[in-house]
Amino acid sequence: MLDAFSLLRAMNGIHEEDVVMADKLFDSKKPARARAKRIVTLALAAALILALSAGGYALFFSMSHRVPDPEETYRIHWEDSPSGYIEWKNVGLAVTFPETEESHAIEFRPGWLPEEMASLQGDWVSRLTAERLCFEGDPNFAPAYDDMTQPMLIESFAMSQFNQGGALLLLDYTAGAVTEETWVDRNVDVLYFSASIHFDANPEHDLPERTLVQNYVLLSNPEAGWVVRIGGELDLETLLEVAHNLEIRETGEILRYEDFTDHFALFNAGAG
Amino acid sequence: MEDAAIVDLYWERSDQAISETEQKYGKYCNTIAYNICGTREDAEECVNDTWLSAWNQMPDKRPAVLSAFLGCITRNFALNLLKARNRHKRGGGEAALALEELSDCVPGGIDVERSVEERELERAVGRFVAGLPQRERAVFVLRYWRLVPLAEISERLGFSQSKTKSMLFRTRKRLRAYLQEEGLC
Repeated sequence: MLDAFSLLRAMNGIHEEDVVMADKLFDSKKPARARAKRIVTLALAAALILALSAGGYALFFSMSHRVPDPEETYRIHWEDSPSGYIEWKNVGLAVTFPETEESHAIEFRPGWLPEEMASLQGDWVSRLTAERLCFEGDPNFAPAYDDMTQPMLIESFAMSQFNQGGALLLLDYTAGAVTEETWVDRNVDVLYFSASIHFDANPEHDLPERTLVQNYVLLSNPEAGWVVRIGGELDLETLLEVAHNLEIRETGEILRYEDFTDHFALFNAGAG
Repeated sequence: MEDAAIVDLYWERSDQAISETEQKYGKYCNTIAYNICGTREDAEECVNDTWLSAWNQMPDKRPAVLSAFLGCITRNFALNLLKARNRHKRGGGEAALALEELSDCVPGGIDVERSVEERELERAVGRFVAGLPQRERAVFVLRYWRLVPLAEISERLGFSQSKTKSMLFRTRKRLRAYLQEEGLC
């Protein structure tokens, strides 16, 4: 007889990754009483540090990062897959943000770019890719980026998108040391790092041993709830300069968790 | 200690495996067992049985997700204990409430061949849950896998209790339809 007890026992069939997801969501949120206590403690600590130093806001750094266990599985929305999802392990870095009810949508335009990229300067956009410069751009420009597939990709995100266990993920690559800073003049928290992946030589396809490197800079503004990722194969110093000069404006649109299908985004989503 | 290192300790037959597991997952398993059995003593017994079972299953098994592996063993011991004592009819722990709720999905009357069909039922439940939107999936798993009280789920996930209840109601309705479609109910 199929009874409620058998059904309760059959919950053992729930996939491990779903159990892990639910556990994470549950365990990441402390009960309200503990949370309230923590907020009071943080507020007191902040007031004390602000009184002592102008750099006190570092306490409120709005991004957390960790290197997940290689077996940890992320269920990422992927329209091309029959199930609508792919399950990805081997995540090199996961960056998460504070729970945010409303994020202000933004547009940006570069205030500075390397001179070979001048043709990209212009309109306000929410996504800017330099991919085309490698394949169909100015012939005077292309040689500098001969070996690159994506010199630079700038994209904006909303913190609210990542509520309830979402994250920005670095797939397959290994992240180097992560630096956290606050740029007071831009009113943003900044996180940056280099990431690499090593390939052994493949004589069958005549490919030498090689290591690919990508660099990433993340800007976040916790008050407005937006995030901007500047990443690619250009060197980190150049990307930091681009980031520091990026002009940003709010569009007036408010974005909430429900507005997004995807609650994960990828650092190295590639070109396009 | 990382999960992989704990599993290595089991494979090396080191006594430290149990103490490390207890330290990392003792509270987790204890809560699951307590939510099902409803008494501290029973929960403790289930958790001790869990460590022994994990010890006996490894080597041979190398669980990909240690928390889910241990949680599943704990659930089984707690449900067995509950059934043996027939406590669910008398209303012990969260399991009694969960059983009452789940009776929506199984109006009864149809025989299920044990083992083969139970495994099919487990697989169907797994597929059904995997296809739920993330929010509904999390609430359903917390309620019926981990047996977390409704009030606690609502508080932790930031929903009102009535919202959590109605979310679970809708999901159970969908589960019932799904099980009927699969010929399991």
